[in-house]
Amino acid sequence: MEEKINALVTVCFLCAILLTFTIADFCSEDRLFSEYENRILAAKPELNRETLRNGSYMKDYEAYVTDQFISRDTWITIKTWGDTCLQKRAINGVYLGKDEYLFQQHLEEDIKMHLADDKIELLKTLVERYHAKIMLVPTADNIMSDKLPVNAIYYDQKKFLDQVTAEVGAGNVIDVYEALEEHSREEIYYRTDPHWTTLGAYYGYQAWVSGMRRFAFPYDTDKLVTVSEDFLGTLHSMININRKPDSIQIFPETLKRPVSITYDFQTHSQTLYEDKYLETKNQYGYFLDDNHAFIQIETGYKNGKEIVIIKDSYANCFIPLLTPHYEKIYVIDLRYCRGKLYDLIDENTTSLRPDVLVLYNCISFIRDFMYY
Amino acid sequence: MVFSSVLFLFRFLPIFMFCYFLAPGRMKNLILFLGSLVFYAWGEPVYVLLMLFSTVSDFFIGRGIAASRNRRKARGLLILSLAINIAVLFFFKYADFILQTINGAAGTDIPLLNLPLPLGISFYTFQTMSYTIDVYKGKVNVQDNILDFGVFVTMFPQLIAGPIIKYTHVQSDLHTRKADICEISYGCKRFIMGLGKKVLLANNIGILWDEVSAMKGGDLNVITAWLGILAFAFQIYFDFSGYSDMAIGLGTCLGFHFPENFRYPYSASSITEFWRRWHISLGSWFREYVYVPLGGNRGGFVKQIRNILIVWILTGIWHGAGWNFLIWGLWFAFWLILEKMFLKKLLKKLPMWTGRFYMMIIVLIGWVLFAVEDMGAVLIYLSAMFGLNGIPIYDGKSLYLFGEYGVLLIIAAFGSLPYIHQIAGRLKGDNSGYMTAINRVLEKVLPALLLLISIAYVVEASYNPFLYFRF
Repeated sequence: MEEKINALVTVCFLCAILLTFTIADFCSEDRLFSEYENRILAAKPELNRETLRNGSYMKDYEAYVTDQFISRDTWITIKTWGDTCLQKRAINGVYLGKDEYLFQQHLEEDIKMHLADDKIELLKTLVERYHAKIMLVPTADNIMSDKLPVNAIYYDQKKFLDQVTAEVGAGNVIDVYEALEEHSREEIYYRTDPHWTTLGAYYGYQAWVSGMRRFAFPYDTDKLVTVSEDFLGTLHSMININRKPDSIQIFPETLKRPVSITYDFQTHSQTLYEDKYLETKNQYGYFLDDNHAFIQIETGYKNGKEIVIIKDSYANCFIPLLTPHYEKIYVIDLRYCRGKLYDLIDENTTSLRPDVLVLYNCISFIRDFMYY
Repeated sequence: MVFSSVLFLFRFLPIFMFCYFLAPGRMKNLILFLGSLVFYAWGEPVYVLLMLFSTVSDFFIGRGIAASRNRRKARGLLILSLAINIAVLFFFKYADFILQTINGAAGTDIPLLNLPLPLGISFYTFQTMSYTIDVYKGKVNVQDNILDFGVFVTMFPQLIAGPIIKYTHVQSDLHTRKADICEISYGCKRFIMGLGKKVLLANNIGILWDEVSAMKGGDLNVITAWLGILAFAFQIYFDFSGYSDMAIGLGTCLGFHFPENFRYPYSASSITEFWRRWHISLGSWFREYVYVPLGGNRGGFVKQIRNILIVWILTGIWHGAGWNFLIWGLWFAFWLILEKMFLKKLLKKLPMWTGRFYMMIIVLIGWVLFAVEDMGAVLIYLSAMFGLNGIPIYDGKSLYLFGEYGVLLIIAAFGSLPYIHQIAGRLKGDNSGYMTAINRVLEKVLPALLLLISIAYVVEASYNPFLYFRF
């Protein structure tokens, strides 16, 4: 009898766990968007004959139930904790590095899938047509490799950059690698986000200036202004455990003269920095209003010079530093814009020979660079 | 539908169990049958009809066999049942393999069927065949109730991934069964253990195998290759035995008594013993319905070898339609025959660890055949394992993988041996009042923790395949 009571208690206890979450999940409301994962969560799918027959209703319903499961973010945190107990140093494609640094994992096998050689060919055509300058920025795992976990593997971007330089010509490439490596002990990359910091962008700027043989605008790194101290970037979202947040800084010199910005030929703005993002998880969007296909910037520096920047998000914190050099800056993000690249450049610039700069981090270049 | 999913754990299972336990006695089979159809049709909205066809045809053939007055008619019906099941299996599982082989050998270009494999087809066809064979042999009573028969074939705990249930296992339970509270308690704990094995051990160690198998053959060194195949060995064990645990646990809650499917196979000290501990229900099926009818070990040694070869070719290709699976079966047949001839006697004379070491090597080489599939790649992998490709034994990547997965591999190794079972047994055996109290607390708290952590991994999972789903 005692055995039976004991068994009953066990059954009730274990089933209660399952039932509690089931009922709580039923009662909880659906979320539209996950700040932590920075994506839209699956919504309830439509139930009709067709979706039932081809099985898509079932798949979508399962995705819906999983995405909307109660306390999803907490469960993900528990999972990450479980992984750290197993002494894993890479969770969900993110390395847990020393000094609280997180690094995105880039493995040779994944990179090899993308045809880097074809992309370098595309670069060569741009160089021929526009005398474009190529600025490919290595990611943190290459520059701060001493902070990676012991024996962590990473894709060697120096080799890739050497290949690019050989094919495109050393005169057309801005060597950021050396500049960043010199300052690798400083905070040139965010701890919780794959982007470089404003300081890192500044060293990139110095490399650009020297490569373009221009005079450097005297930015003062001692006068950097901190606009946020609680930035937790996308790398943090991927693992969801407590981390020291990053600070976002800007050079106040970039605010000296007024700017007029047009996004995608529609929206207008008078500032390079959009404060509204600092209230959200995606604080890096503060720079140039996150992602747009086409941006026209009219700076306050009337010198008649123009530049077209073909870029990924790494450029967003770099572009404000270029404002003293150009009257007009055109920014093209190939992931979002449709239409032919050459037309976009030729139809929008007024001068005969605008500067053209291709600015990507190495990984998104290999992965995403493509134009028609 | 997969057991280790939010959908199953927090929708299907609670709703099903609620309906099932509230339903009056005779309604329970109806609920179980309908629930199982929903479970199966959820993943296979079209192939559910194929499963129903197989069920209905064998139901009527079974009745026909039992009712027929002469042996010849009964035999004819039995052959019909076997033919239908094997034809269905052949068509959906092996047709393309045969076509590819013909194309390759004869240079023809017959288009492949490219049919997706119906879920569980290798399980339910074997189950229904065991029924018609046993009715013919007079071993079981014919099932006159089509619903009860339907439950036997389709019940969701073992439908997708076994254990392969012979009709004898459930014959009486189909009609009358009651799980008492102690059995339900055991079933819950068994289910949770299986869930933990799958999502905490199998899925995670599987990532190591994914990384290694994605590497170019030329980059594999000794350490990496061994780490990789060990990872696979643990993945497939915890995946499959975990799924069997969940099936047995659920079945027990419903009042059924499914046979064990795994008994710590990696603790075996010979290949013969390994196959008595691995996927027991399959070995048992082939023994009863192929090996023994062929004569087994009666009729001389040559005949026995022939019988062993036939059974193992079939066992191999049951696991997959490919040459590598056939060779995998033959690989074991070879060692089994050697053991029967002299090896087993020899191993008995040597210390125990030699047998276990020998078993592990043979099994791991077998897993390379099983997992890598392409024969050329298999040879490259094997040569890497034995240091024959001329590169240094380890490199940075090996060290990294060892650091990442070392703890998990040790836990997996420990979990694949009977130590935990023995420790638990000793704890339970202690009847002193104070130990009983501790046991009572542990047997609630440990499964609860395991369940919670498993839920976390299930919710997080983007990686949740089940390896034996291709069957």
